[in-house]
Amino acid sequence: MDEPLVRYEKIDFLGEGQFATVYKARDVKTDKIVAVKKIKIGSRLEAEDGINRTALREIKLLQELQHINLIGLLDVFGQKSNVSLVFDFMDTDLEIIVKDNNIVLTPANVKAYMIMTLKGLEYLHQNWILHRDLKPNNLLINKEGILKIGDFGLAKAFGSPTRINTHQVVTRWYRSPELLFGARQYGTGVDMWAIGCILAELLLRVPFLPGESDLDQLTRIFQVFGTPTEEIWPGMKCLTDYVQFKPFPPQQLRHIFSAASDDLLQLLESLLAIYPPKRCDCTQALQMPYFSNKPAPTVGPKLPMPSSISKIEIDKPSLKRKLLENMDGGSRAKRLQF
Amino acid sequence: MDDQACPRCKTTKYRNPSLKLMVNVCGHTLCESCVDLLFLKGSGSCPECNVPLRRSNFRVQMFEDPMVEKEIDIRKRVLKDYNKKEEDFETLREYNDYLEEIETIIFNLTNNIDVVNTNKRIEQYKKDNREIIMKNKVKIGQEELELEEILEIEKQMEELRRTEVVRLELEAKKQKIREKEALIDELMFADGDAKEILNTFAQNVASKQEEAVPPLPLVTQFSTGVKFTCGSAQSHLPVIEEGPLYRYEPPITPDRIGPDPPTIEEIINEGYLQHVKAENDTEKAGGYTSTLPCLRALQDALAGLYHTS
Repeated sequence: MDEPLVRYEKIDFLGEGQFATVYKARDVKTDKIVAVKKIKIGSRLEAEDGINRTALREIKLLQELQHINLIGLLDVFGQKSNVSLVFDFMDTDLEIIVKDNNIVLTPANVKAYMIMTLKGLEYLHQNWILHRDLKPNNLLINKEGILKIGDFGLAKAFGSPTRINTHQVVTRWYRSPELLFGARQYGTGVDMWAIGCILAELLLRVPFLPGESDLDQLTRIFQVFGTPTEEIWPGMKCLTDYVQFKPFPPQQLRHIFSAASDDLLQLLESLLAIYPPKRCDCTQALQMPYFSNKPAPTVGPKLPMPSSISKIEIDKPSLKRKLLENMDGGSRAKRLQF
Repeated sequence: MDDQACPRCKTTKYRNPSLKLMVNVCGHTLCESCVDLLFLKGSGSCPECNVPLRRSNFRVQMFEDPMVEKEIDIRKRVLKDYNKKEEDFETLREYNDYLEEIETIIFNLTNNIDVVNTNKRIEQYKKDNREIIMKNKVKIGQEELELEEILEIEKQMEELRRTEVVRLELEAKKQKIREKEALIDELMFADGDAKEILNTFAQNVASKQEEAVPPLPLVTQFSTGVKFTCGSAQSHLPVIEEGPLYRYEPPITPDRIGPDPPTIEEIINEGYLQHVKAENDTEKAGGYTSTLPCLRALQDALAGLYHTS
């Protein structure tokens, strides 16, 4: 292996998360732009354990997974006590696109995003892995308009009869009701619920169920879908964190998503079924009429991109200069007063 | 106009010649500075009738009677939804009834007669005729666009014609001067009879004038605008990107180097589950089924059985 420091040339700082810093870099060997995720060395306590758990998950799982709609782990290298992961470079993510008011998302665009997400997730589930942290922020998109599922820090194998999983997964707004009720044994339904919330967000252009606490999250879910009864969700009361809720009547999704077509509402209803076994899986979802009906999904290169993608490099310095100029002007004006 | 005064600050046109009276949907007037003062935040209520108003809806009062202004506002609002045309009715009678109804509604709203019920009537009408309203709105928008385009083209043609006329006039003036000069030259240097020369020149000028029919661009040809608007109407339709329709293809399963594991249906129907710990109620409620570990174990067990090194 080449000396990693030489192989990856740092271009830009991209962002910083809880566990890692991400840089944009050029792979000198292949002349490809990549993203280098440098795992932070945690506290002493964590360091004793060895490498950070989320990083370990990403390395362990992504090394074996290969799909056009999953982020590719290109390389892993260590340097002193640091570990860095090298990923495909992605230009933007779905959260940025949803929040960009200059972008119009056509039904064909939404369909294209959903197909790519579901295909990636279908492959993941087929290989017995739950992502457990699906949200628009983790659906990465590159300039060619290819969507890849990223951030496997919470991903985990499923389908073991004895293993107890934690329910403290998935960002709250995309967390399914069974997780909120503290289920320790669950299936692909947790990911499917998140997909449903993402689809709803693509339509509404704001988060669909932005709960402020776990209880508020459940309240918001039940306000839309109605408080489930023992008939709708058998065994609900056995769940660890079950709490009795005020009975809300279910609402018509048609009234919330007034612009959505009937086949889309059918998919949405199936993804956001309250009773987990009733929720469809990826294969079932992709076979629903919504996807084969018109309009046809937008082809990758025609998908919208935020206008800032190419502009960022130009804009940033000018803003800085402006700030500096303002500061200078301010001080001069003060001096004039005396 | 002399006694125009703001009802709030009592400023009159006499004291402040630049006084501009504004009016909003409720029909009560305010002067511009009072509007600036009261609607600093963009919205507030009318000081006279306490109706909540938006600053952006204020406009300059054009008619002396604010009631007229109010009626115009109401009429605009009502006609936005009551936008059916004669073609939408089967008989003239129905169309007339419809127009009558609009007038009644506008009159009621302007004079505060039975406002609640009238508003209900409008709501009901909106609900009943949503589709046709939308359709007509689009149609009206298109028609307006076409009209605007025609006007624009006509304006351009007008401009063109004016410059052409100016150019021709200039040309004619120059021509006249040249002819005069030629005539004088001829008179000075030619040997012929002065009278004859004058005559031939006069004839020449007359014949030339006949020839010079100004080739003005034909305006009528363009002012129909049909050709142009057809083209632009298409550009306003959203571009439909026709890609191939999606068809589901199952993901490629990796080579297992072993016998095919049973499908989920086979697991459920062919008794595989008898040998697996069944899920309890809690597990089932969480979305877990014992088919999952069963299938996974079978996949793991069967994979690689045919492997030869």
